[in-house]
Amino acid sequence: MTKENKKKDDQIKERSFGIVGVIWKKISVPLTSIFLALFIGGLIMAISGSDPFEAYGALFQSAFGDINGWGRTLEKATPLIFSGLAVTFAFKAGLFNIGTQGQLLMGAITSAYLGFAITGLPAIIHIPLALLGGALAGALFGSIPGLLKTRTGAHEVITTIMLNYVAINITDYLSNGPLKEVSSSDVVARTPPIEASAEIPQVAGLPLGFFIAIIFAVFVWWILEKTTLGFEIRTAGLSGTAAKYAGIKVTAIIVITMVISGALAGLGGAVETQGIVGRYQPGFNTGLGFDGITVALLGKVHPIGNIFSALLIGSMKAGGAKMQFVADVTPEITNVVQALMLFFVAADRVVRWIIRQRETDDEGLTLTTGWGN
Amino acid sequence: MSKKYLLIVVLVFALVIAGCTAADAPEATCADEETLCVGFVTDVGEVDDKSFNQASWEAVQEFAAANDVFEVDYVETRDAKDYEANINLFVEAGYDVIVTSGFAIGDYTAAAALANPDIYFIGVDQYQGFDVPNFTGVQFNEDYSGFLAGAVAAMLTETDIVAGVYGTNLVPPVQKFKQGFEAGAAYINPDITVISTYSPGGFETGFTDPEWGATTAAQAIDNGADIVFGAGGQTGNGAIIEAGTQGKLCIGVDVDQWLTLPEAHACLVTSATKLIGPAVIDMLDAYMTDTIPEGNYIGGAGLAPYHDFEALITGDMQDILDQIVLDLESGAILTGFVLEE
Amino acid sequence: MTDKNNNQDNKFLKHLKKNWAKYTVGILLIVAILYNYDRDPKVTQAVLASMVRHSTPLVLGALCGLIGERSGIINIGIEGQMLISAFAAFMTTAYTGNIIFGVVLGILTGMFMGYLLAIMSIALKLDQIIGGTVLNILALGITSYFYQVGLSMGQKILPIPLGKLADLPLVGRVLFNNPPITYTTFILVFVVHYILFHTKWGLRTRAVGEHPRAADTVGVDVFKIRYVNLIIAGGVAGLAGSFLSLEAVGSFERAMTNGRGFVALAVMIFGRWTPFGAWGAALLFGFASAMQTQINFSGALDIPYQFISMLPYLLTIVVLAGFVGRSRAPAASGVPYEKEG
Repeated sequence: MTKENKKKDDQIKERSFGIVGVIWKKISVPLTSIFLALFIGGLIMAISGSDPFEAYGALFQSAFGDINGWGRTLEKATPLIFSGLAVTFAFKAGLFNIGTQGQLLMGAITSAYLGFAITGLPAIIHIPLALLGGALAGALFGSIPGLLKTRTGAHEVITTIMLNYVAINITDYLSNGPLKEVSSSDVVARTPPIEASAEIPQVAGLPLGFFIAIIFAVFVWWILEKTTLGFEIRTAGLSGTAAKYAGIKVTAIIVITMVISGALAGLGGAVETQGIVGRYQPGFNTGLGFDGITVALLGKVHPIGNIFSALLIGSMKAGGAKMQFVADVTPEITNVVQALMLFFVAADRVVRWIIRQRETDDEGLTLTTGWGN
Repeated sequence: MSKKYLLIVVLVFALVIAGCTAADAPEATCADEETLCVGFVTDVGEVDDKSFNQASWEAVQEFAAANDVFEVDYVETRDAKDYEANINLFVEAGYDVIVTSGFAIGDYTAAAALANPDIYFIGVDQYQGFDVPNFTGVQFNEDYSGFLAGAVAAMLTETDIVAGVYGTNLVPPVQKFKQGFEAGAAYINPDITVISTYSPGGFETGFTDPEWGATTAAQAIDNGADIVFGAGGQTGNGAIIEAGTQGKLCIGVDVDQWLTLPEAHACLVTSATKLIGPAVIDMLDAYMTDTIPEGNYIGGAGLAPYHDFEALITGDMQDILDQIVLDLESGAILTGFVLEE
Repeated sequence: MTDKNNNQDNKFLKHLKKNWAKYTVGILLIVAILYNYDRDPKVTQAVLASMVRHSTPLVLGALCGLIGERSGIINIGIEGQMLISAFAAFMTTAYTGNIIFGVVLGILTGMFMGYLLAIMSIALKLDQIIGGTVLNILALGITSYFYQVGLSMGQKILPIPLGKLADLPLVGRVLFNNPPITYTTFILVFVVHYILFHTKWGLRTRAVGEHPRAADTVGVDVFKIRYVNLIIAGGVAGLAGSFLSLEAVGSFERAMTNGRGFVALAVMIFGRWTPFGAWGAALLFGFASAMQTQINFSGALDIPYQFISMLPYLLTIVVLAGFVGRSRAPAASGVPYEKEG
C-alpha cells in the first residue's frame, strides 16, 4: 500500500469511528503500555508468590480510592511535574539537564528561608514571593552549567551531575547551620517552619500546588510552541548549526534554556516546601528532581504529557505503602512497572504491533542533539 | 476488532481491581476491641537494615510471639514525607500500639498520638517534649556506648591510631557516637590519634554507601589505624568489613553486629549498642500492664558481648570498663557531648 | 639537518605551546606528590591508594560508556548495568560460594543488559536516553524487589601483592598491591585503547560512530558492530558491578551504586571519550575524594565538613572549565541508524 492510500484508509477509518476513534487512536498506545507494564509486573509478583490483584487493588485504592488518596497522589505528582518540565524544557534545546535535583533543592531551601524569615505579609504576597525566590535560586543554580557550557565548553552533563552533590552539601550545611531551627527539644537539622502566610493551601482536600503545576505546564507549552523564543529553542535543539545559520544566537539560547529549566526545578522545590513539607529538612526532597527524567521521558517530552506521567508515577508513590501493608509486596516492584511503561510508551511500534494498529507518521524522539557539542 | 477486544480487557481489568478493593476483609480485624495489634513504621529505610529499624521490628515480633497478639505488621517508609500517611495506615486499620522509628518521625508520632488518644505510640530515638500521655519517647545515651567503644579501642590499639567512619552529622545519634568515641579513647590514652570523617553524601547516601565506607576505612588503615569504628548504616558496615578483610579490628554500632553482620566476624571486637529491642519490649510490656512511663524513657546503652574476641579483653581492661560504666552513670565521667552545628 | 627533522622539531614545539598548561600542571603534581612522600610517606601512600580505589568503578563505568558511544550509542544506563550486575555477582557468590562464578555471572548479566540496550536503541530505534533510563529504573526495581536478607558471601576478594613490585617505594603499595579486578581495570584501559585506535575492529567502530552511512557504503555491518560493542561494554559494566559487591564491599545493598554510574558518565565525557582520558579524569576525581577524606582525618581545616565534602565536585568543575573545555562526542552518537532501502 502506498503512503497516500494508507492515509486515505486512515481517514475513512477515523470517520467511521467518529470521535471515539480519534480519541482511541490518541490514547490506545499509552493505555496499552500501562496495561502491559502492569501485567508483566503482576506476573513477576505472581511468580514470586504474591497476589497481584490484591497488591494492585491496594495500590489503586490507596492512590485513587477516596479524596485523601487523590490528595496524596496529586501531592506526589506536583513536584514531579515541575522537575519533569525542567528536564523537558532542556531537552527541547538539545540539553540534558541531570541537575534538576540540585536546582530543586536550592529552590526548596530558598523558599523555606523566605517563608520563615519574612513575617507579617498577607498570603497573597507572601506565597508568590517565596515561590519567586525558589524559582530564582533554581534559575541561578541552573545558569551555572549554561554559562560554563557557552563560555568554556564544559559539558552540561558533567557540570549538572557535579552540581547536584554541591547542592546537597550547601543545603545540608545551611539547614544544619545558619538556618537551623533553634529550640531546646528539637535537634534535627532543619529550618524553622514557614509562616502560615507562605503556606500554599489545600482546595477541597486537594493541593493547590498541583493546579499551579498545571498552569506552568500550559505556560511552558505556550513558550515552546507559540513564542519566538520557543521556536529558537526548538530550532537550536534540532540542529545547532542550522540554528546558527538561521541567525539564532545559540549561546544565548543555551543559557536562557538552562535558566528557565533551573527556574522550573526550583519552583518545584518551592511548591514542595510551601505546599507539603512546611520547612526545609534534609532528606525530604530526595529523588524528586531525578525522577523528573523519567517523568519527562514517559510524558514523551511534551509539557502536557508531563502532567499525566507525573500523575502515573505519583500514584505509585502514593499507593506503595498501602500495597506493602495490605499485600506484603515490596513497593520497589513499581519501579519495574515504571521501567516497563517507559519502554512500551517509547517502543510504540511494538505496542502498535500488539494491538494491530497502523503506524502513524509521528516523528520519533531525538533528545540530545547537543550531546556532542 | 482486536482493539475493541483490548479495550474490553483493559476495562475488565480496571473493574476487577476496583472490585477487589471493595471486598471487605474477613471477620475478626484489628478494629475489634479484644484483638491486640502492633504496628511498626520504619524510618526511611528497610526493616532488614541490619541496624536500628531491624532491632525495633524484631522486638515487636518477639513481643508478639510471647503475648497474645492478633496481628503485627510493618510499613517501610520510602519518602520522609510519608511518615504521617504511613502511621495513618495503622490508625485506620484499628491498631492498638504503633511503634515508630527514627528522629525525623517524632513530630508526626506526637501529632498522631494527640489525634488518637486510644492508641499507644512508642517513638524510638524520639524526644517526647509534647506532653502527650499516650506517647513514650525512647532515647539512648549513645555517647555512653560510644565512650566505652572508644575506651576499648584505645586499650587494644597497637599503633595508637584509631579511626571512625560515620554516616552524616545531620542526626544527633551519630554525633553522640562520634564524640563519645573520641572522648572515650582520649580518656584511656590522652595522646591517642583518632582520625574520623563523616560521609560526604548527607541523607542522600550517607547511610547507604558501603563502598565509600570500605574505601575510607582502607584509607584510615593506610594512615596507620588498626581499629575502625563504623557508625553509619550500610556505610559503616562497609568500613567494618574492610577492616576485617585487612586483618584489623573493628567495632560495630547500634545493635550487636556480630548477629546482624556475619561478614564482620573476622574483626568485630564489640559493638557500641543502644538496647533498642529491650527498650521496645519494655514499653510494650508496660502497655500490657498499664504502667506506661510518662514522657521519655531512657533505654540502655553499652557494649555488646565480645564473642570470639573475649580473650583480647583482659580482666584489668574489663575492670576499667566496668568502672567507666559506673562513672558515666554517676556523672563522675562526662562524655562532653555537645550538639554540632 | 634535514627538513624532516626540522619539521619534527616544529611539531614538538607546537605541541608544547598548545599543551604547556597540562604539562606544567602534571609536572607540578608529580613534584608535589614526591615532596609529600618525602615528608610523610604513610599519608601520601594512603591518599594515592585511596585515589586508585575510588577511581576503579568510575574507570570501568566510563569504559563501558565510551565503548558504546564510540560506536554511536549513548549509554546513560551504566548505573543500572552496574547495579544489577553487582546484585547478580553477589547472589551467585552467596549461593555457590565461588567468587569466580560470581564475577562471571556479573559480567554476563552486564552483557545481557548491554544486549537489552542494543535491542532498544538499534532494533527498536528508541531514543537512547530512554533506553538507558529504562535500564536504570528496571535495575533499581528488580534488585530491590528480589533482595534477600541474611545472605552472606564470606570473605571478599583479597589484594594480591605482585611480588617485589609491591615493595617498591610509593608506587608499590598504590599500584602493585591491589585485588584482581583493579589490576584488570588497569589492563583494560590499555586494551580498550589499543583495540579502539590500533585495530581494524576499532577503526570500524569509530567509523560507525562517526559516519555510519559511509561505513555502511564500504561494507561495514553497522548493526553488528553496534550490537557487539554494546554487549562488550555491558560486560565491562558488569565487571564494575562485580567490583562493587565482591571486591570493594563484600556484600550487596539496595541501590549500592549510589550514582557512580552517572559520575562515570561524567568521567567519560571529561576524558573526551578516550580510555586514557577517562582514566585520568577518574583518577582526578578519586584523588579529590581521597583528599577530602584525608582533610577530614587530619582535622586541619576547621570549617563545616560539608564544604570539604564539596571538594571533589567543585574541583571537577573547575578543572573541566579551566583546562579541558569543549569536548566532542562521536558524531553519530544518539542517532539511530536507518538502512537506506
